[in-house]
Amino acid sequence: MLFPTATFAIFFLIVLPLSWLTMPYPHRWRPFIIAASYVFYSWWDWRFVFLLAASTLWSHVFATAIHRTTVTSRRKLLLVLALVGDVGALGYFKYYDFFVSSGDNLLSVVGLHVPLGLHSLILPVGLSFYTFMAISYVVDTYRGDFEPVSLERFATYLSFFPHLVAGPIVRPGELLPQIDRPRDPRSVDTSRAFYLLATGLFKKVVIANFLASSIADDVFGAPTQHSSLELLVAIYAYAVQIYADFSGYTDMAIGLALLLGFTFPRSFDSPYAAVSVQDFWRRWHMTLSRWLRDYVYIPFGGNRKGELTTYRNLLLTMLIGGLWHGAGWTFVVWGGLHGVGLAVGRFRRGSGEPVPPKGIALWRARLLTFHFVCFAWVFFRADSFTTAKDILTGLVTRWGDPSPLVTSTVVLAIVAGIASQYLPARVPRELMDRFARMPVVAQAGVLALALMVTSVMGPEGVAPFIYFRF
Amino acid sequence: MTAGTHPTRHRRRIRTTEDGRRTLTAGHAFAIAVLALVLGMLLDAQGMHKSAYNQPAGWKRSAALAVTGPLATLSHALLLDRPRRYLQAALGRKGEDTIDTKIVIPAPVTTPVSPPASSSGPQTTPKPPMKLKEAFSPKHKLRLWIAGDSLVIVPGWAIIRAAGSHGAIQPVGNGPDGHVATGLERPDVFNWFTHVADELRVLKPNAVVVDFGGNDDHAYMTGLPKGVTIDGFGTPSWRREYGRRVGGMMDEIARTGAFVVWIGLPIVRSPSETADFDKINAVVAAEARKRPGRVAFVDTYTTFASASGGFAQYLEDAAGNQVLVRAPDGVHFEPAGGAIIARMVLHALNERFDLTSWRRQTAKPHP
Repeated sequence: MLFPTATFAIFFLIVLPLSWLTMPYPHRWRPFIIAASYVFYSWWDWRFVFLLAASTLWSHVFATAIHRTTVTSRRKLLLVLALVGDVGALGYFKYYDFFVSSGDNLLSVVGLHVPLGLHSLILPVGLSFYTFMAISYVVDTYRGDFEPVSLERFATYLSFFPHLVAGPIVRPGELLPQIDRPRDPRSVDTSRAFYLLATGLFKKVVIANFLASSIADDVFGAPTQHSSLELLVAIYAYAVQIYADFSGYTDMAIGLALLLGFTFPRSFDSPYAAVSVQDFWRRWHMTLSRWLRDYVYIPFGGNRKGELTTYRNLLLTMLIGGLWHGAGWTFVVWGGLHGVGLAVGRFRRGSGEPVPPKGIALWRARLLTFHFVCFAWVFFRADSFTTAKDILTGLVTRWGDPSPLVTSTVVLAIVAGIASQYLPARVPRELMDRFARMPVVAQAGVLALALMVTSVMGPEGVAPFIYFRF
Repeated sequence: MTAGTHPTRHRRRIRTTEDGRRTLTAGHAFAIAVLALVLGMLLDAQGMHKSAYNQPAGWKRSAALAVTGPLATLSHALLLDRPRRYLQAALGRKGEDTIDTKIVIPAPVTTPVSPPASSSGPQTTPKPPMKLKEAFSPKHKLRLWIAGDSLVIVPGWAIIRAAGSHGAIQPVGNGPDGHVATGLERPDVFNWFTHVADELRVLKPNAVVVDFGGNDDHAYMTGLPKGVTIDGFGTPSWRREYGRRVGGMMDEIARTGAFVVWIGLPIVRSPSETADFDKINAVVAAEARKRPGRVAFVDTYTTFASASGGFAQYLEDAAGNQVLVRAPDGVHFEPAGGAIIARMVLHALNERFDLTSWRRQTAKPHP
């Protein structure tokens, strides 16, 4: 069930009080929250729960075995087997048809075919996210950073519904201690929770949907039919759309967790104010980028084996990151572009920490980084390389053509979306402080108005969330 | 989060977060959530009632209507529906909460026939059965409008892309006019009859590509004429009424002089849904046959079936490559699938119109 739906509201209003009532009794609370999370997950498709359960059991068994073994070679073997299972499940459901058809197309050039049929598989929602969390658990255990917990605790961690289908990717060390310690029902950060819920809902339902339906979908659907101005504005619109869509959903997840007493890490920190590609990945989908750093980049060798190897590792990590986003070569190219961007950035600044630019250099860096990210988004959004090519070539060939899709409302939404990146941190803090000081009834009134405004300004129905397909 | 505390004169501790923001108890959190939702529902009652009305028939819809109906009445009595109405008016979305089930079906367009033979009058020569194809060129383009439910969106973009490189076809409107979860059975959800009439007046297309039926595989219809009841999906009463609506839609377009290309429903992953779609296709094909020269039915069923006649997610292209043609939901199309339909639609347009002789006229003669 999607967060911004009546069904979920009813579900949450039942779970919220029961969670707090059972929380002083962990042996009751944990089974309850696991059951609630499985009900939440089964709402998409009841068959998915078996995969979640299997992933939970698999990762727990191997993490426990790794922890109990002192023989290095055996620990390594257990780790490899665990990863084969976790990555294998993800690979099968998400990439099997992609690799078979790509391999078949490649071999057909020389008259050969891959002797494997296509399976037309349904991708279970959230598989990419909870698989990464399961891998964190196993690898952290192997590294000795973490001691495995009971199956019940691990199942609570992995299936906890606020993060289950679309992140943030929470590390075991961040969530398990919270699960083990009953939260304080006397002190819930309600103002931050409701602020994130209200703004997240508005970003997702209004901003993202408006930009998608007003310009981005039209232009990316038939780029050769649009002027250069429309193409340019559509690229900016998509940049704001994907930010609003994903950060909006993540904000709601963090807000829901807060109401239940749990703190999730942030996933976005004004990414379009970044001054370099490296800075961008320290601000965009931060829980994914740190996962890639800790479980892909560093195991490859990170920056410890010379410059050329560092560039290789950056590129490989981002290629994998691109593939994680979708079973398609355009996603791989998107990842590769960011890998190249990271490598070039490192080459230019050397191995030390970057010196933050100031003045005009700061704004130049921000402008260049934003446009590089937008350029890469073209490949992320395009359904094929032909579409991407049509968009990029159309940017220079059709200036002066009519541009009916570039309306003042579209431009305003884009400007507001980008300007929000530069909002001083004290502004949301002050808003939350003021909200917190209001009487309870007034707080409810403000939220009710926000719900009504979002409902009026949003489209009919609930649009899908972009990152669900990851 | 470390709770800070401050004693007050009421001996009630105010707890704060690390950065000094006041926190509340879990009970307060629940109370605020419930109160906000109740108030929000009252403020949004008209919209919720319409959303409940638009749901597919069943117990969920009945339950939703039972809740939202009285809520909308209470909201109106307390004047709590005003903020929503004022905001809608300010955004130019006045009347969005109105439930419109009126279907205006025009009189069928008939092919001109020779006048009957008279004993006293002169004998007239019967007109030829087929007009010469109307020709279009880059200087006089065929105006093409594309509309329908969600199934039309991806093929619609493919048609627009193909039209862009064609030269003699001009897509009108802002891309495919696709409305998700709509159809001909539920004008309360989206009244296609009103919408098509409005768009035809403005856009004046020469041809209209439509795709309906994907959400019509059930027996619940609104806007039924007086005295008409539907016994069940696929029954004679359902076929009669659905045929009336399909034919009415065809006539609504045809009476403006536009040619109708109606894309049939494809095979889908679910066998039962495929069987239902077959029934819808049968009605549409029958109505199309009654309107020769005005309507073309594009049968996509076998095109998207596998070699064994079942559902195919991938198809082989001309080069023998496996190409993804259907979306993961097993119903909608991927761009490559849309491109296949675009070719079929262009073929139908070429059959009806002369879209190519301009190429021969502009081709340079060989030396």
